[in-house]
Amino acid sequence: MDRKSEREPERKAKSKPGREVVKITGIKADRKDAVYKVMTWLMVLFFTVVIGFPFFIMVSVSLQTMQEIYLPELVLFPARPQFINYVRAMKNGNWGRYFFNSGYVTLIVVAISLFINSMTGYAFARIKFQGRKLLFILLLIGMMIPPQVTMVPLFIMMKSFPLAGGNNLLGMGGRGLINTYAGLIIPFIAGSFGVFLCRQFYLSFPDDIDNSARIDGCSRFLTFTRIYLPLSRPVLASLGILKFTGTWNEYIWPLIMTNSDSMKTVQVALTMFRDEAEILWNQLMAATIVSSLVIYILFVCLQKYFIAGILSGSMKE
Amino acid sequence: MRTRIRRDDVEAYVMIAPFFAFFTLFVMVPIIVNFVNSFTNYDLGRTRDFIGFRNYVRLFTDGDFLRSVLNTLVYAAFSVIPLMVLGFIAAVSVYGVSRVLYMARALYIFPYVTSMVAVSMIWLYMYEPTTGIFNKILVFLGFKPLTWLFDEGLALPCLIIMNIWKNIGYVMIIYLAGLAGIPESLYEAGKVDGASRFAMLFKITVPLVSPISFFIFVTTCIESFKTFEQVRIMTGGGPINSTTTIVHQIYMRAFGEYKMGYASAMSIVLLIIIFGITLLNMRLGEEREGKSW
Repeated sequence: MDRKSEREPERKAKSKPGREVVKITGIKADRKDAVYKVMTWLMVLFFTVVIGFPFFIMVSVSLQTMQEIYLPELVLFPARPQFINYVRAMKNGNWGRYFFNSGYVTLIVVAISLFINSMTGYAFARIKFQGRKLLFILLLIGMMIPPQVTMVPLFIMMKSFPLAGGNNLLGMGGRGLINTYAGLIIPFIAGSFGVFLCRQFYLSFPDDIDNSARIDGCSRFLTFTRIYLPLSRPVLASLGILKFTGTWNEYIWPLIMTNSDSMKTVQVALTMFRDEAEILWNQLMAATIVSSLVIYILFVCLQKYFIAGILSGSMKE
Repeated sequence: MRTRIRRDDVEAYVMIAPFFAFFTLFVMVPIIVNFVNSFTNYDLGRTRDFIGFRNYVRLFTDGDFLRSVLNTLVYAAFSVIPLMVLGFIAAVSVYGVSRVLYMARALYIFPYVTSMVAVSMIWLYMYEPTTGIFNKILVFLGFKPLTWLFDEGLALPCLIIMNIWKNIGYVMIIYLAGLAGIPESLYEAGKVDGASRFAMLFKITVPLVSPISFFIFVTTCIESFKTFEQVRIMTGGGPINSTTTIVHQIYMRAFGEYKMGYASAMSIVLLIIIFGITLLNMRLGEEREGKSW
């Protein structure tokens, strides 16, 4: 962010003499530049078609009858859009429950992890406590560990969680946290990436803030909640939207942690259509659209923060 | 002053405590449990005997696992390079200030924000041999229909193409940020020398975004090694193991056969591979920047 703003005036200053230079250079380069322009627009068209096509098919199929889908001919536009498919898809299974499960798990994960991550990030960025370097390296190592590696031991730990789901103190005898919200939520709370992101953000604040807060007798925690947290909107929005998308779209963990229909999340429920003897493609596509709608709305409204979040992962400085 | 620092320490520890509690319990401890289990024959039942390195030795004679490693490598290699090339072309094409370009950008990111389950469902339909759109198009154009995901040689390429489609937007975003970081003055100097836009693309843009290319290479590589959802949903690893991946094997052994010890050994191998890529990244990054990380 800082670098960009430094460069902005530089670019403006140089754009004027630049234009004069173009006139001096030969026609040949101009013609080639025109070809370049056309090529880039052709590429935009190409990508738009290729990337847009599956989405178009998804919407189209969701509005077709099964007869139309079974026709050997290509049907791009349904003769009569069957909006009823959406209603039928949502009645095919307990979708209210699945949406509630996904929403509940996602909101709790986002709320708790945002608070814990930003608080930890603040401590790492603003307080020079003993052992912070070592702990931070530990945290960075944790960032490299993919959840696919820890899913087997985590499952075992959740299954033998002491005093939960009929388990005794040693974690034996019951189902532990399997088929519980806690089991779906807990592994997503500790994200090193969020701490890393918040730390980067808080590093850029001036020391004067902490000093004056200290003179006023504010504790570190109060300095964080009263001063830093209200100023954290950009970083929390980016992190929050990433966490939200990640948790909502998560498939593998709910798949292994739940086996009852009432605990299914949206993603797991979607795959039920596939397991049926005859796949009802129109309903499946309708359910796919409905399940993705939350993310799409979020993305369209908060695109700026979303992209900032993705980018922040690429700037390790 | 001394007491001030100590009070700071205590406050800091209290503030980081919740995070490190979760972090230790649900990231670090599982890794240790995983490591320990990988030397046992744990099966979720009563047996949990230490069997030394037998799980690891077995991995090297397990045809399914070796096939999954090969598949994962092929998947990674054929996903990463096209992704980088296409992502770069997309970024260069949509770089600029215009409403149309902004909308195009947003569209290209849509597959990336869509869940892998949803994406798998869309492509599952398109690849479907009897009702799917690809065969309908092939027949419409006068070609013979293909069996796509049911074809042993075609199934993995099908998954790779879908993966490229899903992640072009991600690569594009990262490259766009890289393009914004290149000083305009370089292009103006190029213009003075009479260089065409194409020449400048290869002589200025490509070399200057090379650190970003490297970052994209590493992240997309690691992502490819984690491939699971689409395999489980679309092919179940088949036909004849032609699409099974490392994570899919871990899943099958652990949650299909309850061979937790054996699956843990596989997980450790996966961890070593991913750490290897990350460390290689750091080492090369050091050389590139000429300073220690």
